[in-house]
Amino acid sequence: MEVNITKQDKVTTAQLIGRLDTPASQEVAKTMEPLQENAGGTIILDCSQLEYISSSGLRIFLTLRKAAMAKGGNVIVRGMNEEIRTVFMMTGFLNLFQIED
Amino acid sequence: MKINDIADKQLVKTGAVTGLLMVIIAAVTLEATALIQYLYSQKQLKQEASLRAESQLEATKNRILDITNQAESAVRNNTWIAQWCLNVPDSLYRVTQRIVEDNPSVVGSAIALVPDYYKDIHLLAPYTARRLGTYEPVTMSLAGEEYNYPEQEWFKKGLENEQGYWSEPYVDEGGGGILMTTFSLPIKDASGRTAAVLTADLSLDWLSDLVGNVKVYPNAYSMMISRSGQFLVCPVETLVMHQTIQEVTNSMEDTSMMNSLSRSMLNGETGNQTIRYKGATSYVYFSPVERTGWSMSIVIPENEIYGSIRRAGALVGFLQLLGLVMLVLIIRAVILNALKFREVDDKKKRMEGELHIANAIQMAMIPKASAGGTENEDADLSASITPAKEVGGDFYDYYFRDQKLFFCIGDVSGKGVPAALVMAVSRSLFRTISAHESSPKRLITAMNDFMSDTNENNMFVTLFCGILDLTNGRLRYCNAGHNPPIILTNSIQPLPVRPNLPLGVMHGMCYEEQEVILHYDDALFLYTDGLTEAENPEHELFGEERMKAVLHTRRDVQAQLEAMQQAVADFVGTAPKSDDLTMMFIHYMNKKPNSTTERSLTLNNDIQQIARLAEFTGSIAEDTHMDNALAMGINLALEEAITNVIMYAYPQGEGGQVQIDAVIREGSLDFIISDTGIPFDPTAAPEADTSLGVEDRPIGGLGIFLVRKIMDKVSYRRENGKNILSMTKFL
Repeated sequence: MEVNITKQDKVTTAQLIGRLDTPASQEVAKTMEPLQENAGGTIILDCSQLEYISSSGLRIFLTLRKAAMAKGGNVIVRGMNEEIRTVFMMTGFLNLFQIED
Repeated sequence: MKINDIADKQLVKTGAVTGLLMVIIAAVTLEATALIQYLYSQKQLKQEASLRAESQLEATKNRILDITNQAESAVRNNTWIAQWCLNVPDSLYRVTQRIVEDNPSVVGSAIALVPDYYKDIHLLAPYTARRLGTYEPVTMSLAGEEYNYPEQEWFKKGLENEQGYWSEPYVDEGGGGILMTTFSLPIKDASGRTAAVLTADLSLDWLSDLVGNVKVYPNAYSMMISRSGQFLVCPVETLVMHQTIQEVTNSMEDTSMMNSLSRSMLNGETGNQTIRYKGATSYVYFSPVERTGWSMSIVIPENEIYGSIRRAGALVGFLQLLGLVMLVLIIRAVILNALKFREVDDKKKRMEGELHIANAIQMAMIPKASAGGTENEDADLSASITPAKEVGGDFYDYYFRDQKLFFCIGDVSGKGVPAALVMAVSRSLFRTISAHESSPKRLITAMNDFMSDTNENNMFVTLFCGILDLTNGRLRYCNAGHNPPIILTNSIQPLPVRPNLPLGVMHGMCYEEQEVILHYDDALFLYTDGLTEAENPEHELFGEERMKAVLHTRRDVQAQLEAMQQAVADFVGTAPKSDDLTMMFIHYMNKKPNSTTERSLTLNNDIQQIARLAEFTGSIAEDTHMDNALAMGINLALEEAITNVIMYAYPQGEGGQVQIDAVIREGSLDFIISDTGIPFDPTAAPEADTSLGVEDRPIGGLGIFLVRKIMDKVSYRRENGKNILSMTKFL
């Protein structure tokens, strides 16, 4: 699992590559924690290379979304594959995030 | 070894001597340069100090002379009046008044007559003084019983000196205790007879300021002594008018230098002298003040002059020392480096010896099946490596996991140490990657990528790798440039393999995976080219035909292996072994392969173990040919269920296991997840409300929700101290 964080002006992009399963999410949660500081702006979670997500990964997404709500920012989930989109649909997460292809 | 040791010592010696010489030369050059520079600077500074001291002495003297000349002039300019007034003694008072009134620097003036100059007057000395605090001068006569003026120095010496005489400075008790000096000039009457002494008193209260303020260096100081050696100005104020320079000199331990100094000063000489006092050296510049017979001196401690260059010198010295130390270290490093090259030859031999041992250790790590069968009743196995003389790069490995046999055989290009190292890497890669990967294609691709990335010496490995599902005889295999194994069914045929490239050639190579179903009593023979290319003394190769001939007679795996070894040995005869020879027999012995497939996976109670799920569900997906979305859903449901167990059934993180059993049937998949942790029923958790907004949405609670969503049936029971979660997915 790999996370690449880039920042341009007020837009922070986190590119998630690989499988965000329970073991990986501990590490990823740590890596993505600094993103909460930028939650006042726009955060793009680039999921185009994310292969898999479990509930522990969803937690990370939701934590970030809550921080953004508190700071008046926005979280965009971009480029999810069909399988991950299904998980988002099942859990009602589609309604919580701004989804982009 | 011994000769080398002596040579090394010689080298160390030569190196050390050369190094030492270099350091000494560098040190001498550096120090000489620094010394010359230092001495030159010192000379310059000394010259500057002399110049400063002498010019200050000159300037101060001139200012003193300005003042004393004023007093002298006041006296000289009135001599003719005094002469004229001798005829009218009473008018003499008026002369003294005039001198004091007209000359602000003069605080007192007297005309002291020679005793009995007038027949009827024994002593007469009209005197006017400007007393402290009074503006109007007071006129009186100095002739009194208590002050016998003819005995005073100023009177006696004044009579004797035609050019006038400056008295020893004195403290004027009546005048408020100020320091004074008196200029006296003899007065002659019309007949040429010396009649009186005309004087002017000069206050010296300006002297200590004038002299004391002369500062050529911050810690330098100035002194003034009178012609008798009395201190007139001195930084030690208690000495002023209390001690003479001679007295101070005599109180010192070493009087020689001070003696000579005080002599020179008292003689009115101009010059300089070095004195050492209490371990400190000072330069004293001195010069006389004309007329008064005083001598002024400026004392400059040596540190004042050289302090700056000494500090700089100390810094330079320190830096040079540092530089030399570094030079020594560099030379040392160079010598040691040179020695290392010497040691390489030795080391190489030693390393080969060590690698021999390492190779033996590697061989020991390779599983030995030849000792008699395997613990698995569905497959029998035998294998051997016969190394040629040097350390070599052949290897094989096999092990059982989750009712599967993982095996491989490989040959590293080249021989010797590099091959042995690459072999060790290859074998451990196989073990590491296959621990969580049950697709030969992905296994070989991963091994290739790793080895290509680290393959700086272009070492290649041919490898055949297979995974045999013992439950149903399905053999999935992938070949990376290795000889095709022989499959023994009713016939003896090479296994159809795509050759592919050996490992380590190119990163990102796509390897093709193939599949064959083994039936009861089928066997597989794997070998390295050490078998077919074994040479006899006539340089003929053993070849595939001879190999097949041996295989033609079916024996059990151990006997088969021994027969092949014997055949090769007979063929090679006395010819030297040219290559390692590695062989492996696998005999599939499952009489009734399952129509339903069972899979199981045991995980330790550790979140990290969940990474193994992907492979497990991957193989189920392949068994059932389900699509990606479903496979991922199954994986997700299993992961969530197992995470729950690890988190809640083993809340203290204690050791324990989670067992996952899968039964694959036509149309359905059954999973049973069991553990021995504390009772925990995940199905009792409340349903997550997925309609809530961001703020109200709890962070957790999605796990069991996902399990329910994905699986078609979920149930929990506690049985025999175990949590058992059953899940079914209809296909």
